[in-house]
Amino acid sequence: MSVEWYLVVSALVFSIGASGILVKRNPLVILLCLELMLNAGTLALVAFARAHGNQEGQIFALIVMVVAACEVAVGLGLIVAIYRRRLPIDVDELRELQG
Amino acid sequence: MSLATYGWLVLLLPLAGSLVIAFTSQVLPSRLHGWIGTGAIALSFVAAVGALFALEELGEEERQVVSVAWDYARTVGVDAQLSILLDPLSIFMCLVVSGVSALIHLYATSYMASDHGYTRFFAYLNFFVFSMLLLVLAGNFVILIVGWAFVGAASYLLISFWYRRTTATRAGIKAFVINVVGDVGLVLGTFFIFKHTNSLDLLTAFGRVEEAFPTRNDGDLVAGCLLLLVGAFAKSAQVPLHTWLPDAMEGPTPVSALIHAATMVTAGVYLVARMHPFFEQAPAAADVGAILGATTLVVAATIALVVTDLKRVIAYSTMSQIGYMIMAVCSAAYAAGLFHLMTHAFFKALLFMAAGSVIAAMAGEQNLDRMGGFRRAMPFTFACMAIGGLALSGFPLFSGFFSKDEIIAYVIAREGWFVILGVLGFAGSLLTAIYTWRMIFRAFFGEPVEQARELEGGHLHHAAEHTNPATGEVEDTDVGFPGPDHHIAEREWSMKAAMGALAVLATVGGVLQIPKVTEVLHHFLEPTFAESRYYEELEPSGGLTVVGLVLGALLAIAGIALAYRLWVTDSERSAVAGLRARLAALHAFLVHKWYFDELIDVVVVRPFAAFGRFARDVFERAIVNGLFVGGPSGAVRAGSAAVRAAQSGFLRYYAALLLLGVCALGLYFLISAS
Repeated sequence: MSVEWYLVVSALVFSIGASGILVKRNPLVILLCLELMLNAGTLALVAFARAHGNQEGQIFALIVMVVAACEVAVGLGLIVAIYRRRLPIDVDELRELQG
Repeated sequence: MSLATYGWLVLLLPLAGSLVIAFTSQVLPSRLHGWIGTGAIALSFVAAVGALFALEELGEEERQVVSVAWDYARTVGVDAQLSILLDPLSIFMCLVVSGVSALIHLYATSYMASDHGYTRFFAYLNFFVFSMLLLVLAGNFVILIVGWAFVGAASYLLISFWYRRTTATRAGIKAFVINVVGDVGLVLGTFFIFKHTNSLDLLTAFGRVEEAFPTRNDGDLVAGCLLLLVGAFAKSAQVPLHTWLPDAMEGPTPVSALIHAATMVTAGVYLVARMHPFFEQAPAAADVGAILGATTLVVAATIALVVTDLKRVIAYSTMSQIGYMIMAVCSAAYAAGLFHLMTHAFFKALLFMAAGSVIAAMAGEQNLDRMGGFRRAMPFTFACMAIGGLALSGFPLFSGFFSKDEIIAYVIAREGWFVILGVLGFAGSLLTAIYTWRMIFRAFFGEPVEQARELEGGHLHHAAEHTNPATGEVEDTDVGFPGPDHHIAEREWSMKAAMGALAVLATVGGVLQIPKVTEVLHHFLEPTFAESRYYEELEPSGGLTVVGLVLGALLAIAGIALAYRLWVTDSERSAVAGLRARLAALHAFLVHKWYFDELIDVVVVRPFAAFGRFARDVFERAIVNGLFVGGPSGAVRAGSAAVRAAQSGFLRYYAALLLLGVCALGLYFLISAS
């Protein structure tokens, strides 16, 4: 299988994630969509690594997973904190950074 | 001890006194502060006497000693040092200043006794003496300017000593502003001279006059000397910068005696005498000074004829006498001018002290119209006033007789148009005798007023309520206003001692320099004026001296006799009233002080105020506030408003922007790569 197919899948998954972030208002779903985007990136990296026949891309994929895990930990923590303060779990309502 | 040590002691003792009084004001009892102040000045006088003897031990050629404490700046072309110059002129000035100041301090310990600002008063007074001594001892233009400015500041502090009196604070501000005009003149004049001589040290600059200004009346030198004269005129209250001095009489009487009669106002005379090498090389500037001095002496004397405020009569008299001195030193009659400076310090301080005693007996009232008949109630004050008056009007054998007539004789000896100045001087001596004795006869002769009768009965008058003598406003006696009790010379030994000493000096002070007989002062001052082209050459002939002395004596006696006829013999004063009615226009002109205040108001104050208003309303608001400040701040405000609008707080909006941005970047690279 040529690398293009992997890249098409990766692009599809990335687009699904990005559109999910743009349309969804629940932070939990937004986090899930973020994971989709990250995994799309990981998939592309792995595909390139295989096409080139070396290991760098795979190492990058591992690093991206670690970063993703951290990000999820922080994001979930934020969501729990929002919930504990009885704020709405809705990113459109949480707009205190308005200038 | 060496001469330099004495010189520094003269300077530092008053400073130490001022600091000690200021820093122990909460610790020591306030009575003690008066004695600390008096003691510091008396010791300073002793040190000045020591300096005199140390100077006498030196040879004639060596009597100019410069002592440097440290350098302020010693770089290319600038030699600013803290240095004092000890020569006969500076030591003469130190003796006069510290001697008269010590007596006035002594007087003030009683006179100000009930004032609630007693400690502050002596701290200021000592600071003033320090500043004045710094001025006269300065060996360097920089120190001279510092002393000059300090003196102005001390004068401001002391004029507005009663700081809750609006008239006093206004007078203080007026004096300070006019003095600052003089300070600016002095500084600019120094620049003009420094530019060519390249030295701030006085003696070095004097030595370079010939090479720096090879031609006489060099433009820059004349400009510099005229600017120095602006400084001298502002400090010495000469026309047209004189209007502050009469108002300065709002200060306590010892201040009037010390600052506005004996010491500070003579600083201009000292300055011209000190700067004589420049003035002799720029005779045009010196001539201007001599003419203005002669003008002042007549203008002030005529105003003094009609003023009804006791202290202001003496103030105008001071202006007039300093006019004589300025005329003398600007006509190169240095010894005569400085001799008159000394005798004037004695008799004018004495007159002010006696006037203070009378004002105290009147419970603060200063108007001559309400005084009269104090002769029997206050014999000692009357005697002092009479001695001061005789010396001031140049009655034969009193000190003023010799000094004033010497000035006139020397001025006439310059020949040419200087003779006119001499004639003005004679006219001035007649006027002097009249106004002095008008004041004395009105205060001491005639029907005793209520206060005088009360005092004869052994009781010092107390006003029912304390008022400002100028406006009649009711005052209390707390700090910032005069104290509750008044003190007269008859009942206070320290006032009596100070006035007695000055009365003796005012009587016999003339023996220092009897024309053609004793010339102590002339010889003493010779080393300072060794380079002068007039000091030895200019000498009135014997005939001129005798004629001058006789004419001066006749004028003085005639003036006193005229005053006696007008204000004593003619007890109804119908002749005076008749004169006043017949010369109503002239009288109004003199009562309004030749309209100098109004003139300065129209020529200087109003244009400046109008310009200030214009600047505030147009320049400040439209240009500075609108353009310079408003322009950049408006741009920043508009820019930040635009950026702020982008910060909506919608997370998904940010995400969309980010995505679009990344897409745009990706597209850009894709397109540019292909």
